[in-house]
Amino acid sequence: MRAYLLRRAGISLLTLVIASIVVFLGVRAVPGSPAVALTGNTDFTPAALAAINRAYGLDKPLPVQYVDWVGQIVRGHLGSSPVTGLPITTEIGNAFPITTELTILSMLVALLLGIPTGILAAIRRGHTADYVSNGLALFGLSIPSFWFGIMLILLLSVHFSVLPSAGFVSFSVNPAANLAHLLMPAFVLGTGVAAVLMRQTRSGLLETLRTDYVRTARAKGLSEWVVVGKHALRNSLVTVATVIALQFGVLLSGVAVTEEVFGLPGIGQLTINAVFQRDYPTIQAVALLTAALVIIINLVMDLVYMVLSPKVRLAGDPG
Amino acid sequence: MAAAQVPSRAGWWRRFSRRPPAVIGLVGVAVVVAMAVFAPLLAHYSPTTSQFGHVLAYPFSAGHLLGTDELGRDELSRIIYGSQATLEVGVLATLLAMALAVPIGIASGYYRGAVDMVAMRIADVLLAFPFLLLAVGLAAIFGPSLQNIVLALGIAQVPGAVRIARAEAMALREQDFIQAAIVTGVKDRVIIFRHLFPNMLSPLMVQASVSIPGAILGSALLSYLGLGVQPPTPSWGTMLASAQTYLYNDPWLAIFPGVAIFLTTLAFNLLGDGLRDLFDPSLR
Repeated sequence: MRAYLLRRAGISLLTLVIASIVVFLGVRAVPGSPAVALTGNTDFTPAALAAINRAYGLDKPLPVQYVDWVGQIVRGHLGSSPVTGLPITTEIGNAFPITTELTILSMLVALLLGIPTGILAAIRRGHTADYVSNGLALFGLSIPSFWFGIMLILLLSVHFSVLPSAGFVSFSVNPAANLAHLLMPAFVLGTGVAAVLMRQTRSGLLETLRTDYVRTARAKGLSEWVVVGKHALRNSLVTVATVIALQFGVLLSGVAVTEEVFGLPGIGQLTINAVFQRDYPTIQAVALLTAALVIIINLVMDLVYMVLSPKVRLAGDPG
Repeated sequence: MAAAQVPSRAGWWRRFSRRPPAVIGLVGVAVVVAMAVFAPLLAHYSPTTSQFGHVLAYPFSAGHLLGTDELGRDELSRIIYGSQATLEVGVLATLLAMALAVPIGIASGYYRGAVDMVAMRIADVLLAFPFLLLAVGLAAIFGPSLQNIVLALGIAQVPGAVRIARAEAMALREQDFIQAAIVTGVKDRVIIFRHLFPNMLSPLMVQASVSIPGAILGSALLSYLGLGVQPPTPSWGTMLASAQTYLYNDPWLAIFPGVAIFLTTLAFNLLGDGLRDLFDPSLR
């Protein structure tokens, strides 16, 4: 098991390194010289250009530049944004808590909506509850999230004036307002993931309910509740872990869109603005951060899955 | 999902038509395709001529079934013509992704070894970047146009598609009939083209119809962000973007394009589900 752990961690590290190289080269592959990309100016006198190149280390060979860049990142120097002039670390630091809170709330919504519906659909397979749940899941999968957000705003902010349509208030300032601002975005994001979660839970549970050890448990006379409850629960944990890993990337994309629609100054909005303003240092930093997060989450989920699996196999043995 | 069985061709229509959602999906897709193809015949107005006397009209007003937008253009015509951009991007992006991913997937899954390792590491790296953010980034680099979002979305879909194609190729390779061919010394190229690929077609078709909704939603998003077709060409995403400003004046403008995107995506999802059930009914 330790060998697998080390190997898995090694692959993750390798992926992260390659991703950083891709990000590094990406900025330098943009049309126009890197000096343009990194400073945001387009005309330089030859002397100014040479000075910029020296200041950013652009006259050194590429591998050396890369090593320098990695060294700076590890030390926490992400550079400054040429658009706002602020250090990128500050910008990310301001945006991060907002996005984190949104992501956590969305995941909560997804878990609360997706898992019970999935379990219900599996045990009531072929009946109305199943069809309704599947229909809802399909709805959640097919709806464009940004449109869903706009519709919710239309209903709850314009028509009923119940919830605010944009902006953010920190939890420490005003918990009620904080939740009011995040409720709709979290719901929009959560339903998308809930749809996938519901389907996975349903098919996973259906598979488990067909296995021999469940049949044995039933034959032994265990009540249906115990059979389903114990195994449904264990099965759900595995499913949740898998789906979280798979959906994390999707959630991050969704976060960007949702923040745009609801005017939340989080990492997503930061990224989109950076992309539109050609703010390459910020794009670089955020791209690397995002990739690192996805890779780390995948690694953690793989390990969680590994820990859960032997338990599932062992404990499922009817004793 | 790796349905490595050779599916039976007989009676597939009967099996397909037995599930109402699948048929609804097929009909839905047919309707959208018809809208796109016959747009000039179906739309009463040109989608780009503004009638400044009739700005922001509500649905069912004089001669405009769905009302008009902020520049006085007929909403219904714009929705009809908008289907063209949506379908073009959704289908072309997925086809592009498949065209790139299948050869790589087959090479990876059939030959294994070094090719597989390298391909999988590259796929892992690309998959580390969230799909939509990758697409947005690529589209921003390439510049806003229809061809460029096809390219951006297509490239963003490749790593996922490679994984699927590779799994199919690997599973098929272990099948008896392929093993027999290998053992009797049939050339690799013949095996791949004559035996491997034709049996991958059905799962690939399912995969394509499952990917198209993602591409459609992605293209709607890119258009919403202003990276897609440029005005005055109508696209459901851009229509939504401009509608958001007028939410208080004329909410209908935000409803119709969204419903269009939703129904189109739903139809493709139903169709994809139907096709998947056809080839792997165990998941029902």
